[in-house]
Amino acid sequence: MSTLHVLSHSPFSDTRLGSCLRLLGSDDALLLSGDAVYAVLPQGSALTPLQEKTVFILEEDLLARNLDCPQWATCVDYPAFVELSIRYDKVNSWL
Amino acid sequence: MKFAIALYSAAHAPSSRRALRFAEAALASGHEIVRLFFYQDGVHSASSNIVTPQDEQDIAQQWATFVSQHQLDGVVCIAAALRRGVLNEDEAARYQRPGVNLKAPWELSGLGQLHDAIQTADRLICFGGP
Amino acid sequence: MSKSLLIISRQAPWSGPGAKEALDIVLAGGAFDLPIGLLFLDDGIFQLLANQNAAAIEQKNLSANLQALTMFGVDDLYACNHSLSERGITPAGLAVADVQSLSTEEVRALIDRYDQVITL
Repeated sequence: MSTLHVLSHSPFSDTRLGSCLRLLGSDDALLLSGDAVYAVLPQGSALTPLQEKTVFILEEDLLARNLDCPQWATCVDYPAFVELSIRYDKVNSWL
Repeated sequence: MKFAIALYSAAHAPSSRRALRFAEAALASGHEIVRLFFYQDGVHSASSNIVTPQDEQDIAQQWATFVSQHQLDGVVCIAAALRRGVLNEDEAARYQRPGVNLKAPWELSGLGQLHDAIQTADRLICFGGP
Repeated sequence: MSKSLLIISRQAPWSGPGAKEALDIVLAGGAFDLPIGLLFLDDGIFQLLANQNAAAIEQKNLSANLQALTMFGVDDLYACNHSLSERGITPAGLAVADVQSLSTEEVRALIDRYDQVITL
């Protein structure tokens, strides 16, 4: 079963992204929201391991932080977030 | 699609607003929300005593309005709420506390309601943290 | 058939009510006879260590709640091996019997197997 993993903590102050990436299955995807979107900073150390994964990013959180959506990721709004939560068999939010 | 939405953060946390916007989008897309369950610090998102500055979003108020308007089942975990001082009239009287900060449309109930919602829904979505 | 639920507990025992409140979800699920599993991940591993003295910081011991799990019919208890070795803890050092330690691949398969997941 595929899982959509949802993160909202900054990857620079927290271990959730690291643990999540370690446990990510081949059919799974990540959705970055809140401070987790800092992971896509072009010169940041969190970027490289993400590029080979299926990554969605909540657009409002990128806009709020003046960050651009990288080409390898997909920006989503709330209706698309809802659709993603249906497309994947379950949603695992790293609270 | 039937959603169960669980919230674990207070109204001032960005994740509380995110949960609300997700819930609104789910209904707008024609989906059903079988229950909202507020647990841990999520009980503060149901507080009726939150006062936000006028030029800021009052997410706790927006939650209450959303639940009332759509006649949703809004459940606040009683054990988590008591621990954090979120009390309805009955509980304030029972424990002889001076303040009531939980009112309709919210109801206090136990964790069984979370499990029941998970069993009924097609998807469980949790929001919490920052 | 009931949907299965995996709780992933990743909070240390004395960092607030989080660890206990994660256990409460598991115990409530067990009381309703639901298929429920509990995985200790990251700092959640610290809940399993022996000889903790909760009274020293005026807290209640978690071990009673942990021991109650099997009484409530919750037998699917797991610990992440990677989290254990990161912290220099061996599975033999765990106070709670019947916790299976799982490799990263096995944890991945575990998450895959359950219908719903809550990570606290």
